[in-house]
Amino acid sequence: MTSHTDSSAKLLDAVTEGAEKGVIPASIFGDPDLYRQELRNVFGRCWVFLAHESEIPAKGDYVLRKIGEDNFIVVRDDEGEINVLFDACRHRGVQVCRSDSGNTSHFRCPYHGWTYNTKGNLVGAPLWRNAFGGMSKENNGLASAAKVASYQGLVFGTLDQSAPPLKEYLGGMAWYLDLVFGLNEHGVEVLGPPQRFVIDANWKSGAENFSGDDYHLGTLHRSVWEIGAFPVPFHENMMGYHIQASPGHSLSFSMAQDANEPGPNYFGFPDELAQSFNTTNISADQLEVARRSRVFVGNVFPNFSMLALPMTEDGSNHPPVGILTLRTWQPHGPGQVEVWNWFAGYKNLTPEQKDRAYRAGLGTFSMGGAFEVDDTEPWITVSRNGASTAAELLDFQLNYEMGKPGVGISKPVKEWPGPGRVQWTRYEEGVQRNMYGFYAEMMRSAPGQWPSLVFPEDAAADKEHRA
Amino acid sequence: MDSTLPRVAADTALYAEVLDWIHTEAELLDDLREREWLETMVSRDVTYAVPLRQTVERARGRGFSPDTFHLLETYGSLDSRVTRNETPYAWAEDPPSRIRHFVTNVRVRQSGDPDIVAVKSNLLLHRTRQDQSLPQLLSAERHDELRREDGRLMLLRRDVLLDLTVIRTHNLAIFF
Ligand code: FES
Ligand SMILES: [Fe+2]
Repeated sequence: MTSHTDSSAKLLDAVTEGAEKGVIPASIFGDPDLYRQELRNVFGRCWVFLAHESEIPAKGDYVLRKIGEDNFIVVRDDEGEINVLFDACRHRGVQVCRSDSGNTSHFRCPYHGWTYNTKGNLVGAPLWRNAFGGMSKENNGLASAAKVASYQGLVFGTLDQSAPPLKEYLGGMAWYLDLVFGLNEHGVEVLGPPQRFVIDANWKSGAENFSGDDYHLGTLHRSVWEIGAFPVPFHENMMGYHIQASPGHSLSFSMAQDANEPGPNYFGFPDELAQSFNTTNISADQLEVARRSRVFVGNVFPNFSMLALPMTEDGSNHPPVGILTLRTWQPHGPGQVEVWNWFAGYKNLTPEQKDRAYRAGLGTFSMGGAFEVDDTEPWITVSRNGASTAAELLDFQLNYEMGKPGVGISKPVKEWPGPGRVQWTRYEEGVQRNMYGFYAEMMRSAPGQWPSLVFPEDAAADKEHRA
Repeated sequence: MDSTLPRVAADTALYAEVLDWIHTEAELLDDLREREWLETMVSRDVTYAVPLRQTVERARGRGFSPDTFHLLETYGSLDSRVTRNETPYAWAEDPPSRIRHFVTNVRVRQSGDPDIVAVKSNLLLHRTRQDQSLPQLLSAERHDELRREDGRLMLLRRDVLLDLTVIRTHNLAIFF
């Protein structure tokens, strides 16, 4: 072992210890060795969000996506199955997908012309008999992700054959994805291709922020109240639940304590839409939690985030309306992240309602949006300081203590219909400690080994249940 | 801009007026006089759009999305932006970026409406932030429509066609 890996091992030990105590070493936001290990042990193993099914509705539809830093074609084949193919020709490794999205019956390599179908199988090459007659086409197709699966229309892939099934990986988070994406039998669709932008920040800053950093709204986003973009006052918005759904995955609800508090309900989605919500695909408990929610924000480990809340881009002409944004924080070196940002809406919204939600979302949660323009500003300096010599030499530790026992007003909640560790009031950073605790476990797990995907108390309860 | 529309020659008074308008606008935006820009140069009926762009094969055109955007603004939402930048909490642009608009290749055409001229220009936006020594550069083609309102040309429509699919700047809290 080199001294480099020793230093990342030390950092990871500090994260594991610190995730309990609420101290995280600043260097994890800039250490290059740790980053290389993340590509392999986090992005190379976890289930990573790739696309929404509505982006590729027809046979032959494809989009070009990323797992870690690498390109994968996400394509619907002739049988309607979704395949995730490494964008590298089997002959010399050339990129075969020439567009960010489209529809095709095959991918043809520009170098020598090897041609693959939408399952990734090699179907031919120029002058086949002269060049390759007698050679098998089998096992000469494009490489595939180890596993591909969808949940609530969200398509994920993993490069690890030993990964548990997607549903098991999502664990408690599935219950919460249901009540955002499964409120009626129509489901959700994306409103166009994703916006992509690159900022000089570490991917973990985005992921931890969407795990439930509500506290920053009062300072960083103070301007949005000045322009009337968001209808819930800051202090009121801090009321609600912080939930560690299962190891790694966290979320946060803004919710009044009184169940009959007048709205906004259902994340501010229009009343006409809310009338179509039902228990076809979800439980009455899930429906009730969604009804009471003003804001939902969450992160599926490692880098898939969602946010639903009432917003307006123009408070003097349009009241706030529920928007839904999906995003991934694509790693691009320790000090760079490419943000992919989709807007989504329920399929049974009217075209006018979709347009309103899209404009409200774009004007607030996009790289030009009133909310988001401010977010990138601090994240840039987190990664700069994380990469600094000073952080290393001073062993500079960051504070993640909010909401620990005895710190602040947040308290554990016993009565709650859903899974996970639940805290009342959002003055709390356990959601982020949960992300980093799992992160460190994942980072040091040997190939083929997986950290536990359930909390010990849930595993015990499960056993009791079965006994 | 419809290229069959009659071209306004560079040696005409109208062309000179448009060019002067463009220089004035660039000055107001570079000097962060955003409120003045909005109130004296932008029509209440404005549509201001920066469409998304994807990489696509040549046969499929330039890759601009017809209905998804980086920015899609009306007068009301532009006003919100300007108001936001005037609050003391607009961290994204406080301290502000240093911005310079370089506008070239100005082409003016008459439109079907005698009050509206169509203007194409190339834009290079040079931006630095804090102690950055390498600029962020955004290159685009602007398609504008200027309408004469009470004798003055006002921005009625702007489409900013960026030469990028992935935007390499920390935010779009700026005006093109
Ligand atoms: S590299 Fe693809 S055909 Fe040769
Ligand atoms: Fe934020």
